[in-house]
This record gives sequence, C-alpha cells and structure tokens, in this order.
Amino acid sequence: MTRSLRPSRAGGAALVLIVCLGAPMGTAAQTHPDQPSPAPPASEYPSLRLSGFGNVDVAVQNKSEGSRGFSEGQFVLHLASALSPRVNFFGELSFTPRTDAGTGSPQATGFNAEVERAIIRFDHSDRLKVSFGRYHTPINWWNTAFHHGAWLQTTISRPEMTQFGGRFIPVHFVGALVEGGVPAGGVNLNYQAGIGNGRGNVISRGGDAGDNNARPAYVLNAFAKPDQLFGLQVGGSFYLDRVSQPGLPEVDERIAAAHAVWQREDPEVIAEIADVRHRAVGGPSTSSNVAYYVQVAYRLPSAARLWKPYYRFEHIDIDATDPVFDIATNAVPNLDGSTAGVRFDMSTYAAIKSEVRSRRRVAGQPRTNGWFLQICFTF
Amino acid sequence: MVLRGPSRPPAYCALTLILVLLLPGGLTRPADAQPASDIAVVVHPDVAVDNLTIAELRRVLLGDREFWPASVRITLLIRAPIARERDVVLKTLCQMTEAQFRQHWIGKVFRADTALAPKIVYSTDMAVDYVNRIPGAITFIEASHAGRGLKVVKVEGRLPGEKDYLLH
Repeated sequence: MTRSLRPSRAGGAALVLIVCLGAPMGTAAQTHPDQPSPAPPASEYPSLRLSGFGNVDVAVQNKSEGSRGFSEGQFVLHLASALSPRVNFFGELSFTPRTDAGTGSPQATGFNAEVERAIIRFDHSDRLKVSFGRYHTPINWWNTAFHHGAWLQTTISRPEMTQFGGRFIPVHFVGALVEGGVPAGGVNLNYQAGIGNGRGNVISRGGDAGDNNARPAYVLNAFAKPDQLFGLQVGGSFYLDRVSQPGLPEVDERIAAAHAVWQREDPEVIAEIADVRHRAVGGPSTSSNVAYYVQVAYRLPSAARLWKPYYRFEHIDIDATDPVFDIATNAVPNLDGSTAGVRFDMSTYAAIKSEVRSRRRVAGQPRTNGWFLQICFTF
Repeated sequence: MVLRGPSRPPAYCALTLILVLLLPGGLTRPADAQPASDIAVVVHPDVAVDNLTIAELRRVLLGDREFWPASVRITLLIRAPIARERDVVLKTLCQMTEAQFRQHWIGKVFRADTALAPKIVYSTDMAVDYVNRIPGAITFIEASHAGRGLKVVKVEGRLPGEKDYLLH
C-alpha cells in the first residue's frame, strides 16, 4: 500500500473516495464467482460481478403465521466490484412481494425494493480493512453468513431471532466498520469494530437517512477459526445503542451475543445466543431478553450426498416489563420452536427444501404447526 | 444369446472396443496407469514466501487470507473443474467436494468478504503464463511441469518429489 492511502489517518474516508473515483473505467462484467472466466493477465477495474438468488415457497399451516399456499420469495441481486486492487464495492438489492399490492392510494407496488447492503471497503491488509455503508449487523453469525440468499442456508427459514424485518436484534447497521484478522499461532483471531446510526424510529430498521439521536451505536465482534479444528468458528459480540422512538422515552440498549459454529457438513452445527438488555434512560431497572437456537444438519455420505437432513430448536424469552419489546408496535413474541426438514441439492446451484415447524408462543397454548417447501437457487 | 470368448464375432469385438474407448476415461486409461505426479505450489517470482503450511494454503484457497507479506494481494489461479490439480487441492487442502467449494466461494463473495474470486485457468501452460505475469499470483500445477524457472513453494518444508510431500 502506498503511504498516501493509509486509512488510519483522519482523511481515510476521503481517500477511499478519491481512490474509487480514480479507478480506470471499463467494466468487465462477470457472472458467478466460481464460473469459469478466463483469467486475465492483468485485472481491469471496475470488475463487476453479478449474481442472483431466488426462491419459490409453499406453506401449509393450521394457523396463519406468515404466508399460506404458494408465494414468491425474495428476488435478490448481488453485485461485487473491485474498483482497484484495494477498493471493493458490494451491493445487495432485494425485491420482496407485498401483501398489500394494489391497495391504498397511491396503489402499493407489487414488490418492495430495498437496498439491503451497500458497502465500499478499503483493504489495507488481512489485518486491516475499513468500510462504510449499510451492513447486516455483525452481532450475529447467521446475520452475516447467509444474508438474503435462501439457497445459501441449509434451512428454509432463518432463526426468528435474526429474522429479516424482525426486532429482536438490529439486523441492519448503517455506519463504518474496521475489520481484520491475525494468525495468532493458528488460532486465526478476527475482529470487527463499528460505529453507526443504530436503530431507527422503526426499530427493525437501521436509520438509513441519518441517526435519530445524538448517540451513535457501537458494535464489536471477535471470533476465532483455529487451524487445528478446521471448520470451527467461535466468537462473541457486543453492541451498544440508545433507542429513540417518537413519543416514547429513550432506552439504552446493550446486546451481548455468542456463537459456536462447526461449518463442515458432516455434521453442520450452529449455536447462537443473544441477550438484549434495555434500561430506560435514568431508569432504575434493566430488563433482559434472551434468545438462542441450535441447529444440526448432516450431509449424507456417498450416493446420498445430495440429501441433508436438519433440525433446529429455537427459543425466545421476552421480559414482560421490557420498555422496548413490550410496546405493541415493537412487540417481539416469545417462542419455543422446532424445525425439522431435509434439503436436496438437485444441482450445484439449485435445491429443494422441505421442513415442518412447530411453534408455541405462550405456555399452555396450542402449538402452530406447518409444512413448508422451498425451491431455491442462485444464478 | 450368450457370447463366449473364441466364438465372439469380430464385429462385436470391434464394437465393444469402440464403446470402451468412448466411455468416460477410456481414452485416458494408459495415463492413469502411471504413478500420479505431485502437485507443486507455484507463486509469482516476487512473492516473498518460500514455505507454506497446509493451514496457510487452505486459508489462501478459501479466501481467508488475501495478502502476502508486504501487503501484496493474493491472486488465486485455479484449474477448471475435472483437472487433477484442482481435485487434489480441494480434497487435500480444503477437504471439500467440488460443490462445497463452489458454494463456499459464492457465499464468500455474497458475504462481501471479498470481491475477488479465484480466477480459472484451463491448462498448465495458462497457469504458468499467468502466475509469472500477475503479481501476487499463486497456482497449482503438476510437479513434472514445474521445472521451467518457476518459483515453487515448499509445503510444510518439503518440495514436490521429497518424502512425505503432501500434495499428490
């Protein structure tokens, strides 16, 4: 790296932009990252890569909790472009079918378009990368591993604690992130530290148009991927924010989360827990809301390797006195849920998943049961 | 009708021979019978690395390590599917199937971990040409083709052909 591009200096953001603007023109558009594309003798910039994800879902439920029948899932476009050897842009666009399509005045559109992620990143080295933009908050492993492509994840559904549009954790984060990793004698320690806007007026959103209070949100995430246990990742994260909503008292939010993941498929084990604590500013007491899940999957051997059965148990426990989640517009329901299913990879880029879910929201109340089918693919 | 050796009509034998030759791998069988060559790890001549561990190679192959010392960006050149070099590194280093490796890289780029996926090379000559021309490049070729002034990196302290060399 040249001295003039050092990001640790105060003008890092401006330098990133200067480098981006200075990148030579001439787009070399490509498709999937693993597609055979002739290796050029020298890279051209920007080198845009475009890939997409889609899914079609079927749901049969004894009580409506989400869609029923056939539904078109999210149509997702992902763009990755190297603007220079050290500057990259990542974008993720989603188009989600609206249940209120054609209603209202003006009439609601058929699909909701969203810029899910837009990140510009400057790579100094493996130890230091600096980025700005809209992220999936690195407070939760699933949230940063699978994003909006259903094909990438083993199951049909995400764990409810990290559901898109959910409120338990702040799924999106608008701000800046510093990240990197060091070998640390084979332990491979990685870190991510960020500052951003935190939750917006609608707590499931990330304050895209600016912070709604004077307190930024902070996130710190650290994890290890030891060489000796290839496939294992363990880590934890911490998040601080002040939640401000019109007409409601401000609340300090602290989130502590941890994860342990065995990423091989024989088996695949994912376990995460998060504790979201709220305290009204100046208030005497803190409420604690805990959610966790454990997912186990196994890619069957040899001739049956296209099949991958899985099971997930998840639990959400909301404090009845919580000053954020106890408000009707922010409500997060309790959950005791089980998901069991199987994934069949009908090709390298397409899969069919079938799963049953059983969920109980209130102790002593009947469970909601459902059967779901998903055809998902990447293109 | 059951056909037995000596009574088998010549036309049937010829047809059988043609079918065998047309079967996948049929034409390459003579080569398969020879001992498999080690796979050499070759880097651009300016890369300041002489030895890599299996774990380091795995991190390069999976995109977890993106830079050489002195912050030179790594460009991974890998043979297209079916090539033996690719099979060996995927199985030995990544412990992955072809599908898992593809899914890993799609996920890697999709997670915004990197914008630079591996570059595909279609022949040993292409790999040799590009590894010498692209700063920071690394590739994997049959060791028998690695004698043309290429910078071959040791793996766990051993060069191809040495006892206990791991990539073969």
